[in-house]
Amino acid sequence: MTTLLQQLVYGLILGGTVGLIALGYTMVYGIVQLINFAHGEIFMVGAFGALATFTWVIPEGVKGTWYITLPLMVIAGAVVSMVIALIIERLAYKPLRNAPRLAPLITALGVSVALKEAVRIWYPGATAPLPFPKEFLTGSIELGSILIPKTGLLIIVVAVVLTVLLQVYINTSRMGRAMRATAQDPDTARLMGINPDRTIVLTFAIGAVLAGVAGVLYGVHINNISIDIGFQNGIFAFTAAVLGGIGSIRGAVIGGFVIGLVKTIAGQYFPGGTQYDYVWIFVVLIAVLVFRPQGLFGETERVRA
Amino acid sequence: MSEKTFFTNPAVSRVLGVAGAVLAVIAAMLPWSTFLLNKGAYPDKATLQFFDAPFELTGFRWELLIIGVVALVCAVAKVPAQRRVLRGLGAGIFAIGLINFGFIASAGGGLGAVTALDGTFAFGSVAALVAGVLLVLATIGQPLEEIPRWSTKLPTPVAYLGLVVSFAALLYVVSLTLTAGGQGGAASPYSGPMFLSFLGFAGGMFAGAAGLGVLKWISRLSEQHRVFSIVVLLLCALSLPFTDAGSEYWMTVAANIGVYAATAIGLNIVVGLAGLLDLGYVAFLGIGAFVAANLSGAAASQLGIHLPFYLVVIISAAIAGIFGAIVGSPTLRVRGDYLAIVTLAFGEIFQIAARNNIGGLTGGSNAMPNIPALEWFDGTAFNESITLFGAKLPSGVLYYFLIVLLIAAVMTVFANLKNSRMGRAWIAIREDEDAARAMGIKTGQAKILAFLCGAVLAGIAGAVFAHKTSTVSYESFLFMESVTLLAAVILGGMGSIPGAVLGASLLFVLPEKLREFSDYRLLIFGLALILIMRFRPQGLIPDAHRRAELAGEDAEGHTLQDKPGGDEPEQPKPQEVPAR
Repeated sequence: MTTLLQQLVYGLILGGTVGLIALGYTMVYGIVQLINFAHGEIFMVGAFGALATFTWVIPEGVKGTWYITLPLMVIAGAVVSMVIALIIERLAYKPLRNAPRLAPLITALGVSVALKEAVRIWYPGATAPLPFPKEFLTGSIELGSILIPKTGLLIIVVAVVLTVLLQVYINTSRMGRAMRATAQDPDTARLMGINPDRTIVLTFAIGAVLAGVAGVLYGVHINNISIDIGFQNGIFAFTAAVLGGIGSIRGAVIGGFVIGLVKTIAGQYFPGGTQYDYVWIFVVLIAVLVFRPQGLFGETERVRA
Repeated sequence: MSEKTFFTNPAVSRVLGVAGAVLAVIAAMLPWSTFLLNKGAYPDKATLQFFDAPFELTGFRWELLIIGVVALVCAVAKVPAQRRVLRGLGAGIFAIGLINFGFIASAGGGLGAVTALDGTFAFGSVAALVAGVLLVLATIGQPLEEIPRWSTKLPTPVAYLGLVVSFAALLYVVSLTLTAGGQGGAASPYSGPMFLSFLGFAGGMFAGAAGLGVLKWISRLSEQHRVFSIVVLLLCALSLPFTDAGSEYWMTVAANIGVYAATAIGLNIVVGLAGLLDLGYVAFLGIGAFVAANLSGAAASQLGIHLPFYLVVIISAAIAGIFGAIVGSPTLRVRGDYLAIVTLAFGEIFQIAARNNIGGLTGGSNAMPNIPALEWFDGTAFNESITLFGAKLPSGVLYYFLIVLLIAAVMTVFANLKNSRMGRAWIAIREDEDAARAMGIKTGQAKILAFLCGAVLAGIAGAVFAHKTSTVSYESFLFMESVTLLAAVILGGMGSIPGAVLGASLLFVLPEKLREFSDYRLLIFGLALILIMRFRPQGLIPDAHRRAELAGEDAEGHTLQDKPGGDEPEQPKPQEVPAR
């Protein structure tokens, strides 16, 4: 029983990370129908941006003070992710806005490879996994016999809070309405006085900020980052977004939590153990796509992929 | 287009063209670097002092001289489609200049090395760059001409002679390309830039020839004499070992490329014809290879049987095909991007299973070593050297022959499938699935069959691959390989056979040649994907239908939007690209 509960906690922590990334996938796909393969790398870039800030920017004296260091790193990660995402959007995706659908998808693959390689080549020492600072937030909360790492708790809380904020923003604000309108029909949205290009840029920016935050928190929690974290978590996140229903905000995060739980539970109890835990995520992905392509919270008319 | 600018003036264009060509010729004779690089003199006497020995040309400076002279002739004489030709040649000159400029500057310590330093001058690369720009500028004033159509109504012997000469020239170029710059690595530190320079040269010349309509003429001629040209091409491919490229090393490289080319053609069925994006395709190559390894008496095989090769191939193909049908089955319900993700998921599942040595069949991280080499009927192993027609051929050449035949077979299958009822159904599905369904095409069946055919071809290639490399490891079948194969298909032009071969050759020969830059290989690869999608989404040798779809042209090849630099018009009838 303790094992199960402990695995559930780990699952929720992974799920929080995955959910935050999944928000970017779901929003971008909802608005431009592009599987942004590079989104996982945006997450990775955010983590590296925060690490760079910690290493070279934050003064030695305050590195141990969590309430200064952590916010600075989160902001740095988010900003780096956002800037990179906006550059990519402008240079790679925007020119292909009206191209056949395969073209931007392949471009996204190219961006993903290039981004990963750029970090590997130009970030000092990134050829091997790098240690990520954590000294400012250590220890766990004991709840009966199970342990909840503080960093893990932070991820879960941040994921839920940001999701709620995002949902409120999209449902109530002017720009949120513009985003929903553009997602439904860019041409009509344009007629209504919305600037679809600006809306799309905003969508990419929000998604990237969330991914950047996730990257930093992931690094803090795991204590070490490598250039490979992007691809795998990106695939998980995409699975989560599909599972939750593409275009649905809460779906993405709930999907993320489900994916996290599937991975840890499968790793613990399913045949093959942790060696095959990824396989179960892919099995879930395939099953969802085949049997319920609109996902848990998706709208049926969006199914026509 | 109607705006008047400085460049629309024909006199200006003419002057620019001639000036560019002359400058290219001069650039070939100028020194290119002000000092000796640390690894010795950079390619072929490029480090001459000013006018020391301007006429001792070798290597890339020869290439520049040739292309410059051709450009000069074309700029002065009245050639048909002059602007098209000059644009191609100019791009080639620019590429040669840029490659050497970048290399010398980065290897030799900054811009001083390629301009002026310590009173010596080395403006060769800058002159070549300017020459390239001038030539291109000379062509932007007016819209490009239609590609001239040369008559193909020739007496048969003349046509045959033309084809033989063309294909022999092609063989020569292939052999030159393979050996250009020599083997990469420590032995020849400059092989990378020298090879790239050659590519720039060959690309520029080909673009020029394409502008003249020569390539179209050859392709129409070979279309008319289909059987003859296939035979000649096959003979040309088989005689590659007799050229300069016939060393053990190049034969191995060529055979490796061949395996990937065959696989790329298989992927072309799924992606190019049926329009189903497959991001896990390399798994089928892997399945074929692992099945072959287990059935051929590899040391680590737990089955302990050694079947004859033909049986192994059939079984590999069958098992890969079964998996292909399984992977394809979600297509019944899933479309488009989602399908891409499903295939990616299958690819990852295969990779994880192989990494974990599933059922003891894949060897996991120990791989499957010691797969016995194939044997000829008289017992000669395929990895021995042989003597043929009095020429001693290096070891590995038999594998090369086998793979050439494999590619020929795969091409035949592809070409026949493409023109079959099923092929037309696939193309219809690619264009519009709902419409295809409405026309009575059983779309579900057709899509699964596409996956199945693609997987079978990859399975066959995998069986050959296993014997050729003698060790099969899951590391050869990672996601990156799937992306590279996909990129090969896209780079060459989706749905086009010569395109898939060209794409696979480029993508798998480049890493071999650019060992020096191996750190940047994937970065360049990623950027190249982005740039191709941006500027030439239809690929290098586009299929007629595909081009219509991707380049915004109608089926007859006329540009729909009036944009400058729109692509060259296709023949009036959207015909198949001839099997080359």
